[in-house]
Amino acid sequence: MNQEIASLLGREFTRCSQQQLSRKRALFLIALALLLSVGLSSWAAAQSNEPIKIGVLLPKSGTYTVQGENGHNGAMLAVEDFGGKVLGRPVQVIWEDESTPQASVQRMRKMIEVDKVVAIDGGISSGDILAMMPVALQNKILLMASGPNATEITGKDCNRYTFRVDLPSHVTVRTIYASLSDNGKNKRWYFLSASYAWGIDSYNQMRDYLKAKDPGATIVGQDQAPLGTSDFSAFLLKLRGSNPQVAFVTFGGSDLTNFLKQFQAIGMTGKVLISSPIVNDSDLWAAGPQASTGVYPKLWNYSGPYNTPKSQAFAKKYQAKFGEPPEVEAWQDWFGMTSILTAIQKTGSTDSKKLVEFLEGYKFEGYKEMPIYFRSWDHQLIQPVIVARVKQKITDKFDYFDVLAQFPQGGAKELDAFYGTKQEVGCNLGPL
Amino acid sequence: MFGVVLAQVINGLVLGFLYIVIAEGLSIIFGMIGVVNFAHGAFFALGAYFALTLRPLVGDGAIVILSPIIVGLAGMIVEATLLRPLYNKEPLLGLLLTFGLALFLQELIRTVWGARGHPFDAPQFLAGFIVYGPILVTKYRLAVLALTILILIAVWLFLEKTPWGRVIRAGSRDPEMVSMLGINLRTIFTITFGLGTALAGIAGVLAAPLWSVVPSMADLAIMPAFVVVTIGGLGSFRGTVIAGLLVGVSVALTIQFFPAASTAVMYILMALILLVRPRGLFGERWERFE
Repeated sequence: MNQEIASLLGREFTRCSQQQLSRKRALFLIALALLLSVGLSSWAAAQSNEPIKIGVLLPKSGTYTVQGENGHNGAMLAVEDFGGKVLGRPVQVIWEDESTPQASVQRMRKMIEVDKVVAIDGGISSGDILAMMPVALQNKILLMASGPNATEITGKDCNRYTFRVDLPSHVTVRTIYASLSDNGKNKRWYFLSASYAWGIDSYNQMRDYLKAKDPGATIVGQDQAPLGTSDFSAFLLKLRGSNPQVAFVTFGGSDLTNFLKQFQAIGMTGKVLISSPIVNDSDLWAAGPQASTGVYPKLWNYSGPYNTPKSQAFAKKYQAKFGEPPEVEAWQDWFGMTSILTAIQKTGSTDSKKLVEFLEGYKFEGYKEMPIYFRSWDHQLIQPVIVARVKQKITDKFDYFDVLAQFPQGGAKELDAFYGTKQEVGCNLGPL
Repeated sequence: MFGVVLAQVINGLVLGFLYIVIAEGLSIIFGMIGVVNFAHGAFFALGAYFALTLRPLVGDGAIVILSPIIVGLAGMIVEATLLRPLYNKEPLLGLLLTFGLALFLQELIRTVWGARGHPFDAPQFLAGFIVYGPILVTKYRLAVLALTILILIAVWLFLEKTPWGRVIRAGSRDPEMVSMLGINLRTIFTITFGLGTALAGIAGVLAAPLWSVVPSMADLAIMPAFVVVTIGGLGSFRGTVIAGLLVGVSVALTIQFFPAASTAVMYILMALILLVRPRGLFGERWERFE
């Protein structure tokens, strides 16, 4: 149809220029073409109930590919929970690859300007989210950062349109420290960090916390390796040579998997206590039962105590649909997407301003043992954290963790303070 | 301290010899055909992926021979169908082709085998490690070291001592003379390309347990290969060997003492050497390219 209009116009213009006809004819034809295409598209839109588009930005390749896929699965399950529609309109999820900060920003712009999404969920890499946050603010679009952990996202770099589901590094450090220190018995610590925003931030957080809590402890080594390092042999030699009791490895995804496998290949599994500020189940599933080791802070676990009926139902649904239990990343994007859809439903609007205001005041019940909420002055999801240790003997293909404890140990009344005071966090949100 | 440094040097040698095998393939292709094979890393990755698929079928030992043969065959098909028409044209076209091929092959890998990494463990009989004081080396790495040295000796013997090797070396110097002597240059080109890519492929098989089988592993191979070939001098066997060892050991030692610079050190090394010797350490004058 459009092609015929174009060729019609082409012929007309040729004739016009040949005969030096008045511009009236050309203008008439242009107007006709425009009217037709506008008419066509609005006719098409009126035929279908115009969908509400929500963007999902998660990796399709690279270190965090598996988390990206699982996160997307979780987000799609959230849409399913709502019956695939909200406010009577179908929900359309647009999944773009989160690869590098620059590419993520480009894809985010595309989703906002071309696809006209009303909100975006996702972001595993802190580096990517930190680059995307100004775009969210500039375009006044809700950004639900489900996966990154760098403190500054809900700290000094926070903004009014960004919310964060995952745990900030200072909280994970606070949660896991006691298990690693073992009452001050473990004094020799080695650090290996991924050389980007989150890796360095986590190292800084744990180092400062360690120095404050146990001045007698020694940092026997501190190294950085690029994200995507697959060969840790040289670093492992240094680790082994420095003889630590604890090795705090701020790596995730396939990097952590490789590290654990190579760690086991040189016979060190069980000799040094391994930890990381976050852990994804799939990292350990890929490493296998022999190589998996360590005790970690974890946002959620599909099995064990502290799991509510609502979250258990999610786990069951996920297992039925995808053939394996959901890892924590899946829960994060499930919750992130759920919070977006809940906000749309309850405000009756897709305007990010209204969604932001809603999320600042709403308490989500039933997802964890106490109500969880996005704190109004930093947009951090305030939730309990669990400590999970890899089982001594792993017999099930997926059940790798013993859940040892939930923090804060004082329960709901200590929850807000556990995430820091306004002064400690240092976030100024700014106007809508 | 000395022990740890020695252990890192051994690591560096393993890394270096792997780089040499990959770079030799690149160097042979450039020397003989005059094509800069940007897709070399992709053939390296294909070596690993073919090994991944074939392993349950033919076993650990056979994949080391079978996978590079298949990669070599794939290389020969690529050369005969895609590169040959471009030989008499502008050199830039060959470059663009191999560049596009690199992207295409990586996406092909992603489509066929998926974007996720695949676990690829060293064979059972090579599990475990050897400790000698502070020195620690896994058995697999030692095996890789031994194998890569053997491969390089074999390649050297082939190029230096056999008639075909002589033809290849002659053809890289003076292709016109070689063809005038009645030798079918086309076939030689195809076989050379196949040999070069097969070298990349076998490096891919050996590196798979060390570097993880992921689509992006092609990038891990191509950049160091270019750096090694540039430092050593294009077309020089000796240069590639020395440059590869230099790069491998430098990277390993930098990780020990200055880890933040470990990915940058090979480029710094290349810049420094090019300042002093612009053609690389053993680069020779190629009349064809002057």
